[in-house]
Order: sequence, then structure tokens, then C-alpha cells
Amino acid sequence: MNTPNISVNLAGINLRNPIIAASGTFGYGLAFQNFLDLGNIGGFVTKGISLKPRVGNPDPRICETPSGMLNSIGLHNVGLEKFITSKMPEIRKVDTSVIVNFFGETVEEYVELANRLDQVEGIDGLEMNISCPNVNKGGSSFGTDLSVTCNVVNLCRKATKKPLIVKLSPNVGDIVEFAKACEDNGADAISAINTLVGMAIDIKSRKPLLAKRTGGLSGPAIKPIAVRMVNECYRSVKIPIIGIGGIATVQDIIEFTLAGATAIQIGTMNFVDPAICEKLAAELAPLLNELGVDNLHDLIGQVS
Amino acid sequence: MNCIILKNQKLAEGFFYLSIKPKALIGGIKAGQFVMVRVGTSSVPLLRRPMGIADFKVDGSEFGLLIQITGIGTRLLSNLVPGDNLDVLGPFGNGFPPDLKGEKIWAVAGGTGVAPFMGIAANNIFGNKFKLLLGARSADFLLQTSFFSDRGIPVDVSTEDSTKGFGGLVTELVDKNIKSNGKPDVMFTCGPISMMKALASVADEHNIPLYASLENRMACGFGVCLGCVLKKQNEDRFFTVCRKGPVFLSSEVEILNT
Repeated sequence: MNTPNISVNLAGINLRNPIIAASGTFGYGLAFQNFLDLGNIGGFVTKGISLKPRVGNPDPRICETPSGMLNSIGLHNVGLEKFITSKMPEIRKVDTSVIVNFFGETVEEYVELANRLDQVEGIDGLEMNISCPNVNKGGSSFGTDLSVTCNVVNLCRKATKKPLIVKLSPNVGDIVEFAKACEDNGADAISAINTLVGMAIDIKSRKPLLAKRTGGLSGPAIKPIAVRMVNECYRSVKIPIIGIGGIATVQDIIEFTLAGATAIQIGTMNFVDPAICEKLAAELAPLLNELGVDNLHDLIGQVS
Repeated sequence: MNCIILKNQKLAEGFFYLSIKPKALIGGIKAGQFVMVRVGTSSVPLLRRPMGIADFKVDGSEFGLLIQITGIGTRLLSNLVPGDNLDVLGPFGNGFPPDLKGEKIWAVAGGTGVAPFMGIAANNIFGNKFKLLLGARSADFLLQTSFFSDRGIPVDVSTEDSTKGFGGLVTELVDKNIKSNGKPDVMFTCGPISMMKALASVADEHNIPLYASLENRMACGFGVCLGCVLKKQNEDRFFTVCRKGPVFLSSEVEILNT
């Protein structure tokens, strides 16, 4: 039997396999070298980068929920300058695809980040996080307002020639409208989905378990929602989709592929098993053999 | 790392001690470090539990965890039996400083907070400079005291219900010891946050450096999730407990000074 082909071309980024570590769960990639060989995974997405460093939200920032967790880290990151000068030289040495996640508090900040990151060598693609608060719109998220999404994607598209991926918020009425807006405004791919807004309460103290009251729900608990949204997007847009949401096993990867994902990201499970991306990469070809599939690409969107 | 349970010993109602053997040597454990323990293999509970290392052998061939049952994760761990597998990551964190100057080092612990000092005792890190002051609500919950006395380490205890030793809080026991024996050169502490706060003000009053082992909810344990932060004292910035700690000088962190 031939070894099945698991390499994928994602909007011009050649991935040796479809497994990408998700932003916010993989730091700047380097801390995971103690647990796995980055050369064996498809790639990773960095922690979201802002123009200036951010200290993040007050404590407590995380709590566990059934088959998942809530987080309100508050986009804590080193900022663009330090990222370029102190993280990128180390990241460039790594033999894997590198996607940089970025976000702004204003449209102008997004554009400046896209411009600056476009010039940085060693970055294979950019992922826009549009699920963060827009200071000019009373703190409502960029990614939940359709006209704002169109505008910010359009302007970032003009600011970079690198593959531009938009990470969609699931906290909207119809995610398909946002996927189409990204496609129409020049995005090369979409990542779906970001975390779902959730809340948990301590019944003794009657206080929220997170200092900011609410946080983003992630982990296996959200997988069926993510699969549904990936499939809805797949049926409406032509640009490739990166499926994200609770992936924990190699079977989950196939499920997302059938729903329409060209590649996938693993998030929360990196915390539970920091070697999971490498382990699932090793399990993928054998599973395709078992399923009688020669090329992973042939499975994309093949749910009946 | 894959480990095997050697022993699961009930210490008191709701408290147990796991003796654990890694399948491969992990080496280089320092007293005060912690591990991330996976509870079972299902997605409930999902996240690993941060657990302070108690007794350990320096070559990493064996270590122990002193655990209080507080929720579903710790209850499941309490059911482990010898021969069971346990998935552990670590050791992580900085640990207590092993190279301190000074002739008197007191460890002040409350309840399960005695755990990290077992490693100091077992490996004789501070010889006869070291003394343990341990508090609990009642005599039954003064855990592992013989572990110290068997190794020739002085142990002074307090109980809130006066069932053993000094009747009162361990911070009052510290005050009493300072009055009768003079102050120590340095103190270590681990235990409930309210106890450590009270001790921080005693340390401050007597100008004694205090190293406190702190905790927080963690998803990863190695500096990536940024979930386990604590605010720096007098600064609008955060430390991660897993990377910068879990042992902090009490003057560095706001939580011990409010």
C-alpha cells in the first residue's frame, strides 16, 4: 500500500501535514520544543501580537468546565517590536510553517501590523484575530459587526502580500455572512472557529469564576458547534477553511476535513498533552490507510 | 512522563499520599517544584492538575504527592492503587532557593503545605539549620510530622482546637518562637493563602526574608497559557506562577501584601 499523502497547500502555504497549533495555546512555539519536534507538525500560529505589549487581564483568568475551559487572558503578549527582535530570530530556526496571529484596537492598528509583519522574513502567513474589542465602537468586537469586518479585512489585504487568514468569531448570528465578507474582501483563508463566550459561577461565593465575568469556551465541548460552522462556511465560500474547535484525536481531524476543512488547528489539547500535534500527525496516514483514502485532500468537504 | 503508582496511603480523612515511580529517571528535581498530573484519560476532567512535589529522590527515581480531596480531579486520584499508571509532566517551576546564607531557616506550613518541605528534609538540604513549624485545625490533620522528626529535624506544631502542641494559629506559634529563640535568618512557607498573608506581615515586621510557595489555576504549567498569573507588588504587571514561581519572595507579589 502507498503511504497516503497528508501534505496540504493552504492558500499558498505548503504544510507537511494539516496539523497546526492554534494561537494562544502554543506561545511562540519555542516552549514546545521540550515536548515535540516542530519539524513533524504542519505549523503553528503564534500568540496574538499587538502593536504595543499588553499585560493582559486580572486574575483569575481561566477555569475548567465540562470537557473544556474558559479563558480571559486578555491578549497578554510581548508586542510587535519585541516579537520581531527577540522571538523571530529563534522562530526562523524552526523547520515548520509559521503563521503570526495579530490584532489591533483600531482599524489603523490592524493595518499597521499587517504592513509591518509583511516585511518580516520567516513568516509564512498572517492570521487576523477579529474577535477583540474595538475601542472606537464602545468595545464591541470587530468580528461581530459585518461592515467593520469588511473594512478591516479589505484594508489589511492591501497592506500585505503574505497569505492572509481571518479567524472568525462564532459569537454571531450567521457565521456564513462573515465568511463571505472575508472572501469578498480578499482574505486567502478563514480559521473557524474562535472561542464561544461563556460564563461559570462559584455557587458558594456567588462570584463569576473569571475576574472579567465571561471568557472564551474551548476544548472538546465546542467541537460539534465548530464542525457545524466549518461545514456551513464550506458550502458558501471557495477559500480554504482551517477547522478549529476541540480537536483531540485523529478521528476528529477527519471529521473536520469531511466538514470542509483544508487544515486544522489544535488548541486547548496542547495544554493537556503538549506533544499532541506530533502524535496526531503520526496517526493520520495510518488512519487514512484504514479508511482506504490515498490523499487527505480527497476528503475535504466530502460529508454527504 | 509515564509513571507507576507505588503506594497510595490515606493520611487522614480527605488526605492521601501517592508514592510515584517515573518509568524513566527525570533527574534534577528541586524542593518546591511541581508537576502537572493528568487525571484519567477522558475529557472530564480535562486539564492537568498542578501538584507540588513532596518527598523526592534527587535522581528522579521516585517522588511523592500529598493531596487533599477538594474536587473531582483529586477524588479520582485518591482511587489510584499500586501498579496504576499516571501521566505526569514536569518538574516545573523554580523551587525554594537551596543556597541561602544564614544559620536558621524556618519552614512555616499549614495543612498540606507541609509537602514541599518533605523534599528538603529527605535530601538534607539545610542540615541542622532547618526547622519546621506546622499548623492545622486539629491534631488529626498535622500530616507527616514523623517524616521530619525521624530525620532529626525539629518540629513545632500548633492546632486551632488545641488538640496538640500550641493552641492557636501557626503564625502565633512563629511569634512565640521568635520571642523565645530569636528570629530566623529566612523563612519558607506553604499553606492556605490567609495563613501566608498573616505570616508575610510577621516577616515584614521582623525584617525576615520570606519565600512563599504560591498556587493558581493552570492549564499548561510551562508558561504558555498565561492563565496562572499573579500581580506584582506595586506594579501593574503580572508574574506567571508556573515560570517565575511557584516560590516568590513575599515582598514581590501583591496577593501577600493586601
